[in-house]
Amino acid sequence: MFDVLTEYWPEFRSGFWVTCRLIVASFLVAMVVGTLVAAFRIAPNKWLQRLGGLYVEVFRNVPLLVLLFISYAGLRRADVDIGPWTAGIASLGLYTAAYVAEALRSGVFSVGKGQIEASLSLGFSYAETLRRIVLPQAFRTVIPPLGSLTIAMIKNSAIIGVSLLALPDILKQARIVQARTFETDVTFFWAAVGYLILTGAATLAFRFLEKRFSIAR
Amino acid sequence: MSDQNLVELRGIHKAFGDNVVLAGVDLSVARGEVIVIAGPSGSGKSTMLRCVNGLETADRGEITFDGRPVKPGKGLASLRAEIGFVFQQFHLWPHMSVLDNIALAPVKVKGVARDAARQRAEELLTRVGIAEKAHQFPAELSGGQQQRVAIARALAMDPKLMLFDEPTSALDPEMIREVLDVMRDLAREGMTMLVVTHEMGFAREVCDRLVFIDGGLIVEEGPPAEFFANAQSERAREFVDKIIHH
Repeated sequence: MFDVLTEYWPEFRSGFWVTCRLIVASFLVAMVVGTLVAAFRIAPNKWLQRLGGLYVEVFRNVPLLVLLFISYAGLRRADVDIGPWTAGIASLGLYTAAYVAEALRSGVFSVGKGQIEASLSLGFSYAETLRRIVLPQAFRTVIPPLGSLTIAMIKNSAIIGVSLLALPDILKQARIVQARTFETDVTFFWAAVGYLILTGAATLAFRFLEKRFSIAR
Repeated sequence: MSDQNLVELRGIHKAFGDNVVLAGVDLSVARGEVIVIAGPSGSGKSTMLRCVNGLETADRGEITFDGRPVKPGKGLASLRAEIGFVFQQFHLWPHMSVLDNIALAPVKVKGVARDAARQRAEELLTRVGIAEKAHQFPAELSGGQQQRVAIARALAMDPKLMLFDEPTSALDPEMIREVLDVMRDLAREGMTMLVVTHEMGFAREVCDRLVFIDGGLIVEEGPPAEFFANAQSERAREFVDKIIHH
C-alpha cells in the first residue's frame, strides 16, 4: 500500500501542490468578488442590486464543469488567449464567489438597523458604516458557512484536473499513477487522503477563526 | 451668532404611509436648554427627535441646527458629528471593546490622534462611572452600563447637542437611576439636551421646559412644575394623572 505512495511520491507531491495553489488562488478570487457582489446586492442603488443578483443567478445556476468549458475552450475558440490556470482559477473562484456573496448577504441582514443608525448618528458616511460596522460583523457571523463553502470549493477543484484543462492536480496525477501501476484502489485512496488533508486543514482554520472572532451579542 | 437658538423646527410634518406621525411641529431650543419631550406612545416624540439629526427626513418643514439646515445630502454627516444620539437599545457595536466603541468615531470621523482619543475615552468612562470596563465587550456589561457607554460614545465627539430617545425604557428599574444620574450631571454642566422619556421625576428635577406631544402636535409646553401642577389641556391633564397615579 505504501510502496505506491513512496514510488510515485514526486507525482503525488506535485499534484498536492498544484491543488494547493489552485484552491488558494480560487479562494482569494471568491472572497474578493463575493464581497463586492454582496456589497452590490445591499447597495442603495437598484441597478447595482440587480447586477449583483444577476451575478449570483448566473454563476450559481451554471454547472462548474460548463463554466470550465466556456472559460477555456469557449474563450480560446473566440481567440482569447487564456491558459488553463487562469481559466481554472477564474471558473472555480467566480463560481464559489456567488455562494460567498449569498452567505455574506445573510450575514449583513443579521446586523441590526440600530447598529447602522448608531454609526450614522456619529457622523460616519454610509460607505464607512458598511466598512467599519456592518461588514466586520457580517464576516464574523458567516464564518461557519464560509467554512463549508471553502470545503466544497476544495472538493470541487478536482473537477479541474479531470476536465479538458488537465491541470496536474491531485486527481490528475493519481490517474497518471493508476494508468502506470493499475493499482486503482490504492492510488485513489492516496488521492482521497490528499484531499482530506486539505479539507481537514480548512476545517481547523475556520474553527480557529470562529473561536477567535465570534461575537457575543 | 451665539444668541441664536441651537435648534429650530418649523412646521415639521411626517407620515409613514397613511399614518401621520407629526402634523406640524414648531420648536426652538436655546443653547444650554434641557427639554423633556413627553407624551403617550405613538405620539411622535421619537420621530421628532430622529428628525433633528436626520435619521428621519421630514416630509414638510424645516429644521436648522446651529444655523445650518438639516437635510439629506453631503453636509448631513458633519452635522451629525456635532449631535450626540442615545438610543433606547444602546446599539453599541458588539465586535469592539468598550474603549474602541468610544474612540472609533473621534479617530475616524474627526481625525483625532488614536492615543488622544483612547485617553479621552478612558476619561469619559471614569466620568460615567465604569472606568474598569474599558477593555470588556458590550455583551459583558449590564444594560445600565451599556447605556452609560453609549452616552460616553456620543460625548466623545464633543457634541453641541445631545438627543436621548427613551434612554431608560429598556432598563431594569435598578439600573435606571445610574443612567439618569449621568444625564443629570450632563445637564448641570450646561449641555443642550432633548430628552424623550417617561421619567417624570427626572423631568421635574432637571429640565427647563417640558414639551407635551400628542397626535403629532405640541399640545402644551412650559416649566415642568407648572405642567404637573396645572396642565391646561384635557389631554395633558389625563397624561399627568396616569403618570403620577400609576
